[in-house]
Parts: sequence; C-alpha cells; structure tokens
Amino acid sequence: MTARTTGAAGMLAAVCVAWSALPLRHGGLAGMFLAVAIACALLSVARLALGRSPDEASAYLNTVQQSARSVADLIRLCPWAEVMIVAVLALEAQHPSPPWHTGLLGAALLAYLFACHLAESRSRLAVLRPQAPLIAVGLGLLALAAGAAALPSGKGSAADVLAVLAGVAAVAVAGMVIPV
Amino acid sequence: MLSAHAQRLITLALAGLVIAVITRRPEFAGVAAPAVLLLAVRRPERPARVGVTASPSGTKLTEGERAELTVTVAGNRGFSVDLLIHPRYAVVPETPDGELAMHGGRSALPFQVTRTGRRSLGVLEITLWDRWRLTEGHATVELPIVDCYPMPAAQRQRVVLSRLPSRLGEHPSRSSGEGLEFTGVREFVPGDRQRRINWPATTRRGRLQLNTFAAERTQNVVIIADASSDVGEPGSTPADLAFRGAAGAARAYLAVRDRVGVIVYQRSVRWVSPGLGARHFYRIMNLMLVEHAVVADRGRYSPFTRLPRAALPPGSLILVFSPLLDRRLVETVRDLRERGFSMLIIDVLNTEPSGSNDSLSGLARRIWRMEQEAIRFSLRELGIPLVSWDGQQSLDEPLAPYTRRAMVIRQ
Repeated sequence: MTARTTGAAGMLAAVCVAWSALPLRHGGLAGMFLAVAIACALLSVARLALGRSPDEASAYLNTVQQSARSVADLIRLCPWAEVMIVAVLALEAQHPSPPWHTGLLGAALLAYLFACHLAESRSRLAVLRPQAPLIAVGLGLLALAAGAAALPSGKGSAADVLAVLAGVAAVAVAGMVIPV
Repeated sequence: MLSAHAQRLITLALAGLVIAVITRRPEFAGVAAPAVLLLAVRRPERPARVGVTASPSGTKLTEGERAELTVTVAGNRGFSVDLLIHPRYAVVPETPDGELAMHGGRSALPFQVTRTGRRSLGVLEITLWDRWRLTEGHATVELPIVDCYPMPAAQRQRVVLSRLPSRLGEHPSRSSGEGLEFTGVREFVPGDRQRRINWPATTRRGRLQLNTFAAERTQNVVIIADASSDVGEPGSTPADLAFRGAAGAARAYLAVRDRVGVIVYQRSVRWVSPGLGARHFYRIMNLMLVEHAVVADRGRYSPFTRLPRAALPPGSLILVFSPLLDRRLVETVRDLRERGFSMLIIDVLNTEPSGSNDSLSGLARRIWRMEQEAIRFSLRELGIPLVSWDGQQSLDEPLAPYTRRAMVIRQ
C-alpha cells in the first residue's frame, strides 16, 4: 500500500514539474526554479520511500553506515514537498501559459499533496472520504478562477477584482496559521 | 498541532495567493482555492483525555511462545487513532511494519519473545487524527515488561544412578521392596504377604515360593548450568543452550518426583536447593531468568572452585551443562569427582573463535581446539562421561548410552 502511494506521489511530482516547465525556457529564473523543483521532487519522494527512522541504535554501525543514516535523517528533516510546491508555482508563473494550464497544474499539485499524506501516514484512500465534498467544491472554484482568467480583460476587469480577493484570502490564510 | 499535510496545504495556499497578487494572474488564486477551503474547516480542538491500556495475554512466557498484546484506546472522541509498536530487543511482533489495526477502540497484536530474560515489549506510538487529517497528536506509551523463561529442551528418558537413597520414588532400585518391577522368586518365610505367593513355582518345588519386587526409590539430581560464556550468535550462545538444557532436564526429573536442584554458575554461584513439585520448577526457572539478566554483566570473577555443600546432597547425580571454557568450572568438576559425586557433562560448546583466514589465525584456532580436546580428554580420564548437545536435537539422543541402564557409580 505504502509503496503504491509513494509511487503515485512520485509520478504526480514528475507530472507537476514537467507540466510547469512546458514550454521550455532557458536561462534566468526559470532554469533555477526548474532545477530546484526537480531536486525537491526527487528528495520528497526519497523522503517518503525512506519512511520513519529505524529504532535500533547506531552505536554499532560502521562509519559508512552511520554516514548513510545521517544523510537519510537529513532527507527526513527537510520539508522538500513544500519547497517543490513553491518552485513549481514560481516556474509556472515564469511562463505566459493559458489559465487552463495553470488550473490543471493546481489540480495535479493537490493530488500530489494527498498522495504524500497517504504515503506518509500509511493510510488508505478511504480516510479522505470526509474531505471529498470539500475537494470537489475546491476544484470547482479552481475551474471558475481559470475560466474567469480566460475572459478578455479590459479596464476594471474581473481580473483586478480577483486580485483584490486573492490578497484578502492570503491575509486570511496567514491569519489561520499564526495562532498555531 | 498542525499535521504535515496541513502545513503543505498552507504552503500551496500562500504560494498560490502571493503569486496571484504579484503577477496579477487570477488563475493562481484558483490554485490556492481548494487548499484554502480545506483549511477553513479546521477546528483546533483536542480530546480532553485519552486513555490507553496495553496488556499482554501473559507476563510469564517461554522462548518462542506466541502471546497477544491487547491495546485499548478510550476517550479519543471522533479522532481516528493510528498505533505503531517499536519493539525492543528479542520481541518479534507478528506484523510486518509494527502497525496495529484498531477495531472498535481495541487492537490485538500477536508477538513472540525469542530470548530468555526480563524483556520490555517496547514503546507504543499513538497518533490521533481529526476527521480532516489537518490536526494530529502524538503520544508514546511504554509497554509492559514480560518474563521470558528458557524453552526447556525435550527429554523423555532419564539417567538413573545404580545406588539410590532410601526414599520412596519411582525408580526401581537394586534392593527388593514394595515396587511394581518383578525381580525374582524366593522361599516364603513367616511374615511375608500371602498375596505374593507364586503358586506355579510352589507347585513345582513343593515349598511355598514368593515373588519379589524391586524397591522404588527417588534420586537427588543437581543440575549445573554454566552461564559464564555468552559467546556466539545471540539466542544460541552456550549460556542459552545451558539454560534450555537445564530447564528440560529439571522438568524431566521433576515429572518422576525426583528432587532437583539447580546451580547457576557464572561470575558468582547461585543455587536452588533440591526440591520437588511444580512450584519448585518455577523456582528453578525464576533463578535462571534472573541469572540470565546478569550474563552480560562485567563484574569481577570470584576465585572459587568448590561448590557449597548445601546445594549438593550426598549421592546426588550431577548433570553439568557447560561449554567448558571457564577454567574455574573445569577445576570445580574435577573437585566434585574427587569428592565422589557421579557426574555427567553435557557439552554445549557450539562456536569457536572467529578470525581471518591467515596462517597465524589458523594456527591459533588449531591450538585452541587442541586445548579444548585436552580438557575433555582429562575429564574422561577422571571417569566423567561427556556428551555433546547442539541445542537442536532432543536431550535423549546424546544421553542415550546412559539412559538404557542404571549408571554405575565408580568411587
């Protein structure tokens, strides 16, 4: 079960990075974001594959084994998935891609996050059942936003209104996090 | 606290919204929308008190015995519970990754303890999740300690001495008495019981003849378990084999109502004086359990070669389970033989020094083997029978030459 969800997470990470990198642009920030996204995608999958740190003490391991364990602990320590999300979105922002392209990327990123969670917690897909209606509504909003962005813009366009709403929502999300 | 899943959703929401504002592209706000919606339903609440009970099906087990750990979680109030066991040394849970499945607030995990000793079962890690998987809580519970007795070796036949003390028991002795084993016919003398008259012999000889029977006696058995050498693979070291053999022999002799005592020989000597009965068997097992815990202790050797008289009743049969690596024990065995005890050594040495394959290591190993052979030869020369036991087979096989007939004591 865990191997399957880890594999799914790996495939979704690859899809997200590839999708956000298209069409390919060389040099500048795009190249840097692409390199960061690829590295973080690989490390996030490695983190899922490594699982929890072993229980046995490392006192009896040789130097090579202790070094390997230190590297594995370092991989477990860092939030590679979060960095990959930021890098992928930044890479997508570098391209003048159509709104539906970004919308599909958002859906793939969401699927990647759920796959990561299932692999990490070794849970079955059924644990996401209570969230299914919310996910459906969220995807609907995503489609709406992509559709609104696809409308021809002019003065006082919907895009400006959505930008203001996005700013308000960003403040709200930050507010949700700060008490924690 | 926020789960890792929630932290990733927050990252997605913030990144999408910030990029939407900076680039003035509303589709990025749409990317953040599902994450914002999922985070909006989170309620930072926690159950007031969660009760966890973990109890094994038994606290006294034998090596390899299958037992069950029952974990009950109460008061989790709609939070789902994930259980993960981190077993300690020699505890083998029958689940591949240590995860326990909960059914109605209760979970059962079969496990085995594979090595003698007082063993902690490990640590139970409990993770609570809210229904949105956005809040998680962790707790760890130390699992109970169980006593793991050595697995008694199989033994059906027993070594019996030719001369037994005059106490009622189950072994036929040389002297005639009130037992069940027929020994011969003799002439009737006044005072004999009439029901023992052998009528066919009486008819043939013309005088009253009487059947005679062997008296049934008990014997004192003292088992010496040498735990001074804990070398080799854990779980099948000479000390482990000595304890298993001693437990098997103690069980076999107590089953026929012999008086059995045990001496555990390591850096110091502890013993249980000869006794009989099921309770005495557990006294012996408890001694071995406690002594196994100090096998690895690096305490100081006590320079003795004589065992205490209280632990050795005169005329006892002494069974020694030893790898004969400790010179003190070899001297003690010689001393006991000189004191006139009948002894039998069960050699449990199943390993030899490891080392590289160069000529010097090979030479050292050859010298070591020759020394071991010399020790065994000198003991045989003293009239002490010596058999080898690998810990796998039944004890009946190495002891077969001595269980077919009564063992004659040579003074």
